[in-house]
Amino acid sequence: MTETARSPHRTDHLLSVPKAIVRHGSHTLADVADLRIEPGRALTIVGESGSGKSVLAHALMGTLPTELTAEGSMSIGPTRFDLADRRGRRHLWGRELALLPQEPSLALDPTMRVRQQVAEGAYGWRPRDAAALRLADERLDHFGLANAGSAYPHTLSGGMAQRVAYAAATIGGASILIVDEPSKGLDANALELLARLLDDHLAQGGLLLMITHDLRLARRIGGTVMVMRAATVVESGPAEEVLTTPAHDYTRQLVAADPANWSFPWMRRATASASGAEPGVPALVSAHSIAKTYGDRTLFNDVDIEIRAGERWAITGPSGVGKTTLGNVLLRLTSADRGTVVHAPGTGDGRLQKLYQDPGLSFPRRVSLQRALRDVMRRYEVPEARVHALLAKVGLSPSILQRRPTEVSGGELQRIAIVRAMLPRPALLFADEATSRLDLASQQATMDILMSELDEIGCALLMVTHDRAMASAVADRQLSLEVQP
Amino acid sequence: MTTPLLEELAPAGPRRPRPIARRSAALGLLALAVFALVGPLVLADPAAQDLGRYLESPSLAEPLGRDDYGRSVLARLAHATRLSLVLAALCVATALVLGTAAGIASAWLGGWVDAALRAVSEAFVAIPALLVVLLVSALASGGSLWALYLGLALAQWVEYFRVVRARASLVLGSPAVEAAGLLRLGPVHIIRQHLWPDLRPLLTTLASLGMVTSILAMSTLGFVKVGLQPPRAELGLMITDAFPFYDVAPWMVIAPIGVLFLLTVCFLGLRTSKDA
Repeated sequence: MTETARSPHRTDHLLSVPKAIVRHGSHTLADVADLRIEPGRALTIVGESGSGKSVLAHALMGTLPTELTAEGSMSIGPTRFDLADRRGRRHLWGRELALLPQEPSLALDPTMRVRQQVAEGAYGWRPRDAAALRLADERLDHFGLANAGSAYPHTLSGGMAQRVAYAAATIGGASILIVDEPSKGLDANALELLARLLDDHLAQGGLLLMITHDLRLARRIGGTVMVMRAATVVESGPAEEVLTTPAHDYTRQLVAADPANWSFPWMRRATASASGAEPGVPALVSAHSIAKTYGDRTLFNDVDIEIRAGERWAITGPSGVGKTTLGNVLLRLTSADRGTVVHAPGTGDGRLQKLYQDPGLSFPRRVSLQRALRDVMRRYEVPEARVHALLAKVGLSPSILQRRPTEVSGGELQRIAIVRAMLPRPALLFADEATSRLDLASQQATMDILMSELDEIGCALLMVTHDRAMASAVADRQLSLEVQP
Repeated sequence: MTTPLLEELAPAGPRRPRPIARRSAALGLLALAVFALVGPLVLADPAAQDLGRYLESPSLAEPLGRDDYGRSVLARLAHATRLSLVLAALCVATALVLGTAAGIASAWLGGWVDAALRAVSEAFVAIPALLVVLLVSALASGGSLWALYLGLALAQWVEYFRVVRARASLVLGSPAVEAAGLLRLGPVHIIRQHLWPDLRPLLTTLASLGMVTSILAMSTLGFVKVGLQPPRAELGLMITDAFPFYDVAPWMVIAPIGVLFLLTVCFLGLRTSKDA
């Protein structure tokens, strides 16, 4: 007998949460009342990181870490569940209630092939279950991943991993889907594919709770939007209303943090220096017909680029197209297969710097930031006062340097990375998706800090980003990479 | 980078291993070390025979009795423990320095250095550790301390080399080291701030295990009579020598076994569990 693909149950059930409170000790992480999710209409919770969005989602799912306590209740149709009881909802997982976790590429088992992994969620799964495997193939095929079944997760791009995780989460036919920060690290195309999957789920009468800090995705999915800040809901209503004419100050700030709506003194209007190289300004980095190939995949071919002092370049393109590799080749961190990269004399002494996508990995892991920075200060004879002044400029107190990189949040650490990169007075800074993992508000604040600093010392910028809105807000020259045939 | 649910909460510090277990292990080890270092100075000569006091039972003056030559078992035990601890520490120190230096060189330089060092290490891995010690002992004159030391150190450096090489290549390939390279901070910075803090917990764990391995290997060789030769007091030798008298003088066998057991347990209890 075969198990046919179960489409989400067409329920007329509502999910309602009269009251939900999540605490860590005496500290309240989320305190929400009267939450209702109707079939076919998404509920999106937006807000900055640390506002309690994800904690709330896990409280509803029943997957909170044990240090956190939940109070309140939730009903699915006529059935009522106590949020404090973690076990009570376990039998719903996969069948009724499914969670698409953050960072799907980390949520997948790296040692298991995609097909087996997706099949595990099927109804009545047993090891080596042919019917479940067939169902998994069907689902993968449906999501345009027909060839990925026998692949291991590390070979997938972020967008593909996201869709595999989506297939694994929904194969059990759950009607209630909770999606946690699905847009992190995805480019526009992958995000659109995911949005279509979510649309399908809604069109089939499914219930959807989406947690995101990406207002564009929130707008795209529509439905109801709730804005959370510091554990409480500050505003809620239909998406088009809340996100275009926000009533609350905080929502207004959030909407303004979208790169498309930015306005800063350091921004140059594209008209200033749109075309042609200014004569007289020497090139810091010039590359001629460089090419790079990984295995049988050509990343780029015959690229010419000259970066002059003070210029702002953006390399854009879909993820996995080789943007970061191109940047690394320009900094000579990776060698090109063909072509030449020439650095101007005088750029050798630490005057080419880089900001990383994950700042946590760019500091020595087990020593305090103070110790890591001390060697930089000694190397470039920077007085301590200048470091403190820079820290004050980026809104951090010097005492934060006592901590290790793992004990500091991503946004703060990226600002410390900016301070570090400024110490050698660089001529060119390569920002590799430096803000793509931050929420919109921190992204805006971080870019403002970075660009003001660069503007002040006249440093050139080479930015890699998949966010075209940000590229056009920041850069005055763009290089767009396309997928090579 | 994942965004943990508890990002805004106090980050969990390094997980403390059960402190009572570690403290008692350290205390036990300290007691054994004092016994090994002070014992030989204050106790009787371990080689002094007194055939008239053949297999004397334990008494207040002689807590572990006397052996078949009338030698003081306590004095012999103190000498044997000192020999085990000092020789094991020397072997571990040598293997650690050699293995770590080779591992870092291999990961850092790559190319033919890496290929050559890996080939040598794989040759050592292919031979059982005890066989390496036996081979070296066979080349030297029988029962020489130097041969035992050299053999044990040679058998152990591979472990440090492999672990350090694997970890160091990860660390050296990380963006943090790339950033240090862009900042032109030099190799001293990379070793002091990147490699050493990352390797230290691994090395302490390996070293405490290595002490156990060396001590047990030494007594195993003594037990099968290919290691050190009598009349030298050695834990394994003491066990075999005492076996024929087990019925009449069980304390003679139990004493060295007890010391071996305590050494093993204390070294294992000393390991830190925060290197995750």
